[in-house]
Amino acid sequence: MAPSLRSGRRRPVGRATRLSPFRCPAAAADPARLRGLDPRAPATPPAPPGSLAPTEVRAEPSKEKDDPSGASAVVTWKAPTALPPPGQELKGYRVYRAADQGAFEGLLEAITKPEQISQEGQEPRLSAPVSDLWTWHRYRFKVAALYGPQDPEEKVKAAGPRPWYMKGQVKPERSKDWGEPLLVDEVLSEDASGVVHTHAKWYRIDRTNVLIGSLLFSIVVIWYIRRARAGRHVYIRPIAGMEAIDEAIGRATEMGKPILYIAGLDPLGTISTITAMTILGRVARRTAEYETPLLVPCVDPLVMLAAREIVKEAYLDAGKPDAYREQDIFFLTDRQFAYVAGVDGIMLREKPAANVYMGYFYAEALVMAETGSITGAIQIAGTDSDTQIPFFVTSCDYTLMGEELYAATAYLSREPLLMAQLKAQDLGKAALGVLVAAAVVAASVAAFLTAGGLQHAADHINQVLDLFRPLG
Amino acid sequence: MKIRIPLILTFVTALVMIVVFFTPHRLGDYVQTKLNDWVMVIGGLGLVLGLVSLLQRHLRKIAHRQQDWGYSVVAVVGFAVMSIVGVGWGIQEGTVFNWIFMNAYLPLDATMFSILAFFVASAAFRTFRARSVEAALLLGAALVVMFGRVPWGQLLFKPSPLVAEWVMSSPALGAKRAILLGVSLGGIAMSLRIILGIERSHLGGESE
Repeated sequence: MAPSLRSGRRRPVGRATRLSPFRCPAAAADPARLRGLDPRAPATPPAPPGSLAPTEVRAEPSKEKDDPSGASAVVTWKAPTALPPPGQELKGYRVYRAADQGAFEGLLEAITKPEQISQEGQEPRLSAPVSDLWTWHRYRFKVAALYGPQDPEEKVKAAGPRPWYMKGQVKPERSKDWGEPLLVDEVLSEDASGVVHTHAKWYRIDRTNVLIGSLLFSIVVIWYIRRARAGRHVYIRPIAGMEAIDEAIGRATEMGKPILYIAGLDPLGTISTITAMTILGRVARRTAEYETPLLVPCVDPLVMLAAREIVKEAYLDAGKPDAYREQDIFFLTDRQFAYVAGVDGIMLREKPAANVYMGYFYAEALVMAETGSITGAIQIAGTDSDTQIPFFVTSCDYTLMGEELYAATAYLSREPLLMAQLKAQDLGKAALGVLVAAAVVAASVAAFLTAGGLQHAADHINQVLDLFRPLG
Repeated sequence: MKIRIPLILTFVTALVMIVVFFTPHRLGDYVQTKLNDWVMVIGGLGLVLGLVSLLQRHLRKIAHRQQDWGYSVVAVVGFAVMSIVGVGWGIQEGTVFNWIFMNAYLPLDATMFSILAFFVASAAFRTFRARSVEAALLLGAALVVMFGRVPWGQLLFKPSPLVAEWVMSSPALGAKRAILLGVSLGGIAMSLRIILGIERSHLGGESE
């Protein structure tokens, strides 16, 4: 059986197609073979009645909710009406696209399971999305039906002296030659779809609620900053964990032992680590004043570099540049549990008087905190990792939970500008609490209305609630 | 200038990333991919400095015969051996590097991870002592969840998995979401402080 690429109903291979031969390995190797003219190839069995090619190909731009970028389309077609030639079966489909006036090019991925769309009174159609189109172009589409041997045993026989393997194009089932399935026929639809214009979109309308919420909160923050600049007094609630940092530094100074500072496992680009670095700056200033050794083992080399700069600046600011020891801020390893082993070793050998954990932590949190607890160090933790908060609460003396971590620098510095933002955070939390309560009441009312048969009124309430739903 | 240039860079990059978040255009994806590539390149360069720091620390300990310097010898020898066999014969399957990694490093890694189970037990023992109302509530909730998660719990009291599931999906999840809401607001506020240059201590400077 000769491998062939055919277009339309019972057309000879290659006759009605404008496919680039360089898209097809067999054609590139031997163009005569593509046209079915290779005398070595066995004769193609006569095609049964009907069309082996997909028909009525249509295309339209994707809906915005499916693809907000505007760079995709949905292609639909009708399945071939003819039965596959003897010994073959329909393996899938491949979409061909032509940009502007260019030639049709087949997309690499074969579609083995197209979605079936059934509309009342109409024949079912098959559908597949086509993404990664260039915007501001005009596209037309064709669809090819892919035929192959019925079973793996047949593949070997049907391959003939020079089998045509197309890597990764058809995935009918896993077999020993998976990854290089054999294609015998690829029959292209005669007619192309209508033209689809792709328009680039610059704004994700599905994220409007996020934008509005962020803008409102930012306005509140900026308003509080302006108030603070005007010299208004800002009261913030006491945070026990922050009060304890001074206590811990004092204890370490009295005992003549170092303070161990762990900045989490995340890289420098995350907000938790940046916060951990800002807190480190404040802690370093106090340790510089008392000339207490500060150990900072790092899991990320960039965090180490940032930590060195911050601590150095802090010691300079405190007027104690000579007390700064660069070697105390060092890279340990970037592997999670190797890092834990290293930190635990430091805890057990150096016996720090205080351990400070600030940043984002994973499963290593409890191992480090429990080891620290065994050594008798005073332990202060702060993390926004909700899964690790319980572990720190059980093993540490003080824990900053969630957003208290972000409040720490403001609390330590007592600068009005920073403290003003804590007020904004509290206001934001209060507003969210009110919104959540209102949403609970509204959803309950909607449920009652639905039960009472007032679906229309319930729909209105649900539409309002949907505005707060994350859409994209 | 030492502070001003990083502040300008932070502000411009943050603006770009905000625009990328709200635009579906391919250009946005492209910019994000490029910025991520830059981060990876900088991270790769940083690793060299990290390794230098690691070696310096351990070599200093060995040279000065500081306390427990023998561990530093193990670290330096391990570093040297893995570097030599990795660079010399590759790291793919079947190489010495891969053999050491699979038969020495991974078991040690798994050992450290498995220690977690014992620490969970010791932490639970310390925490679940009903010394106050809150601790008693915690103990009660923990017992209910544990009871619902073990087979004999269901044997003794059939609906126990449902009760455990309710504790996890209603009160526990509610508290977790409250924390996450606070974290989100705190994150936005912190980001604004950094973007607007109010928070500068991470750049080695005073806040404004």
